[in-house]
Amino acid sequence: MPKTALKPFLKYVGRRFFFLILTYFVAITIIFILPRAIPGNPLSQLLSRIAVQGAANPETISNVQKSLMEEFGVGKPIIVQYLSFLGRLFRGDLGTSINFYPKKCLDVLAPFIPWTLFLLIPATLTAWIIGNTLGAVAGNKRGTWMDNLVLNTSLVISQIPYYWLGMLLIYTFSVKLGIFPTQGGYAQGLLPSFSFKFITSVLYHYVLPFLSIVIAAIGGWAIGTRLLVIYELDADYTIFAVNLGMRDRTVFKYVFRNILLPQITGLALNLGSALGGALITELIFNYPGTGYILFRALSTLDYPLIQAIFVILIVAIYFANFIVDFVYAIVDPRIRLGQGEGS
Amino acid sequence: MKDTLILSLENVRSYYAKGNYYVKAVDGVSFNIFKGEVVGIVGESGSGKSTLSNVMIMNIKKPLNFIEGKVILNVGANFLELNTLPRQELQKIIWGRETSIVPQSAMNALMPTKKIRDFISDLVKDHFERALNEEEIIERAKQRFTDVGLSPNDIYRYPFELSGGMRQRAVIAMATLLNPRLLICDEPTSALDVANQKLVLKTLEQLRKREIVESIVFITHDIATVRQIATRMVVMYAGKIVENSPVEDIIKDPLHPYSRGLLLSVVTPEPEIKKRGISFIPGTPPDLANPPIGCRFHPRCPYKMDICEKEEPPLKKVDTNREVACFLFNK
Amino acid sequence: MWKAMIRPLFKSPKFIVGMTIFLLIVLMAIFGPILYPKDPTSFAGMPEQPPSKEYPLGTDTYGGDLLAKVLNGTRSSLYVGFLVAIISMSIGLLVGIFSAMKGGIVDELLMSFTNIVLTIPSILLAILIASYLRIRSLEVIAVILGILSWPWFARAIRAQLMSLINREYVYLSRLAGYGDFRLAIEDLIPAIATYTFMAFILFINGGILGEAGLSLIGLGPTKGVTLGVVLQWAVLMEAVRRGLWWWFIPPGLVIVLLTSSLLIITTAMDEVFNPKLRER
Repeated sequence: MPKTALKPFLKYVGRRFFFLILTYFVAITIIFILPRAIPGNPLSQLLSRIAVQGAANPETISNVQKSLMEEFGVGKPIIVQYLSFLGRLFRGDLGTSINFYPKKCLDVLAPFIPWTLFLLIPATLTAWIIGNTLGAVAGNKRGTWMDNLVLNTSLVISQIPYYWLGMLLIYTFSVKLGIFPTQGGYAQGLLPSFSFKFITSVLYHYVLPFLSIVIAAIGGWAIGTRLLVIYELDADYTIFAVNLGMRDRTVFKYVFRNILLPQITGLALNLGSALGGALITELIFNYPGTGYILFRALSTLDYPLIQAIFVILIVAIYFANFIVDFVYAIVDPRIRLGQGEGS
Repeated sequence: MKDTLILSLENVRSYYAKGNYYVKAVDGVSFNIFKGEVVGIVGESGSGKSTLSNVMIMNIKKPLNFIEGKVILNVGANFLELNTLPRQELQKIIWGRETSIVPQSAMNALMPTKKIRDFISDLVKDHFERALNEEEIIERAKQRFTDVGLSPNDIYRYPFELSGGMRQRAVIAMATLLNPRLLICDEPTSALDVANQKLVLKTLEQLRKREIVESIVFITHDIATVRQIATRMVVMYAGKIVENSPVEDIIKDPLHPYSRGLLLSVVTPEPEIKKRGISFIPGTPPDLANPPIGCRFHPRCPYKMDICEKEEPPLKKVDTNREVACFLFNK
Repeated sequence: MWKAMIRPLFKSPKFIVGMTIFLLIVLMAIFGPILYPKDPTSFAGMPEQPPSKEYPLGTDTYGGDLLAKVLNGTRSSLYVGFLVAIISMSIGLLVGIFSAMKGGIVDELLMSFTNIVLTIPSILLAILIASYLRIRSLEVIAVILGILSWPWFARAIRAQLMSLINREYVYLSRLAGYGDFRLAIEDLIPAIATYTFMAFILFINGGILGEAGLSLIGLGPTKGVTLGVVLQWAVLMEAVRRGLWWWFIPPGLVIVLLTSSLLIITTAMDEVFNPKLRER
């Protein structure tokens, strides 16, 4: 890469980085404000509930209460609360869990996060690749039986929620046919390790949750890509290339290359909802990921843990977003060489 | 014989299929283009002139249908009836090599995410079975880029690195890269400023003079441009040719009432402008799905006669080299 | 004019199929609970009975009648979907139109705001908001989902209007002294009407699916039965692993039929109204 070409690239990446930081800041602020702004102040309700339960085990409860009071800055002015909240985040302190007291939220979460990534990332990428390919082929053969088949199936499949598909898969393959395990991330009784036995068990348990995300997500990508291909096949550069006698195959290659670029951005925008779907899918499969711990935190009203989960998940999504932006900037010469269209 | 025929259309009909009816965009069109000519095809938007550019190279894609007629192209050694060739054949030996189209919006006509040089090598690969030296074509491309006023090194750039006017010229260079006999320009100047328009017209003229291309067809609604560059003018109205005359003749003495209307200044009004009550030529172009019976211009024609509502006037020779489709000249 | 717009729709088999399924489900939601007036919340029957004459869709663990639950659930889910659509559409239109017509700094600020909301993962935020609310009516759920799902629509509307505003006839109308308001009413709104209608349908879909998602993790409406709530209880009671198919298949099936029929309708409309997609 010549020296001059590096500048616009850095500028674009820098701008995206700044935007994501800004957005993350907004998200953090929302997380801070919500419990304090919602009528009935759920926070003080929580504290009084703990106080009432205090009879059972006075010592622990009062410790929980103390640490909560401190972490939430009860009684201090809101701006002080906010600053100390930011300060603790900045130091990587996500608070203390109520349920798992005195464990720190981060320590509670840590073992669950890799499972979610392990499920979400391969499944999303697989769906992205298959969906784009199907959609592109369908768009290129527009109006044929194959196009109709891909489009109509996609229209229905894209509307199946991950988790319901998961239920159907469990019912069919585990309950009725007995091929796959009904739940969990690995066989009960095994301890996580890098043994052959453990890894095969993980993979065996992986199949159904993986499939339910992949299948349900393919349709959406296929529909989007098909439309993009149809538009691009009508674009000025396509018509020019055709009129110059380029083969249909070459023209299709061009079109495919150009639609992949916006679909990379689509991947970034889609991550949030994909994650949401994956969390619920984990719940259905009793898969030991973030969705599982989130559900437990929600049902016990462990607010510090809930907050921590969201702080982490949103960081993860923005980090992934940034990586996607980075890849995009490398792949698309328009941005690499300084004709970026911004966000 | 002095005049070598390059392209000949014989009674060509090509319709768009829309559900259960046809839009008759090109309806019984016949004309010849000879070597060295620059033919301006003029008409309002919706007259079928842009469809005609596709028909001339037989790039017929659904929903457009080729109904009947002959499209004959001189390919040097002999004449080919393009309408009988399969699409693959047209792609391989005709398009780009014998014919080429400079599109209306050159701004986005080049593959946006490839360097021009890589585009050229794809183009070469699709046309020749590795026999031809790619380097030779690259050299030629550099030369052609210089010819149209660009730097030869611009072929190593991406299209977005070129300005609008530069892109237009790059497109012309690419379109003529394989030395096509017939160059069709579809409103190539409409998006440009005056300075760039002049430059493009000059470039085109140069290409023809140096016999890189043998004939040029210039499709436009802008009479001023045709005046500058064309040797002959073909006026289209509602899918038909109404007049075909040398430029000097038609400007001095337009025969068809529609040609007269066009030459008395007139640009095509957009429908939205009409909605606001600003209108130029009285009346509107007819609906090509259901054109008027008889002469298609009769509802707007100031010289309308009884026969015009019943019969279609044929395109007839009225002078050695003038043709007109109007009963005023058809006694 | 309406006739000319609507007629081609009825030539599209997709539109007819989608519309038929959708209308059938709507009819079911409206008249089902009247024709089958069992109380969806009563625990009258034998627990976990498979479908029978008395209980056409069987019963749940508490002896609740699942047909009554599905019928009432469809009604509530549709209600939530419509509310979400109305909220998101209003915000989206407001932001999009205002942004496009005012331009300049207003446009810039509104669009930054829109982009930020767009980038914040809306499902996660919805979960977070819902988790702090102890009592959640159907309307509250709809508001949570509605205020988070408008950004893409606002952006699209702004983009469409921008390209329209730059067209000649709008310029001419301005010269003719048309004010912003008259311009919006006469020229711009008709131009974005079909697009808005299609977005409205997609918002209904988003609302129905969003509600089901929230319900599944236990953050759905605290009062009333929706399709999501039926599924939630099926999950809690391990209906899937215990093979009680009549509990979790019907509500999911209704969701899929409902949302995919709506998606099919918008696809068909796109094919009819969008010149680039118009069928040959």
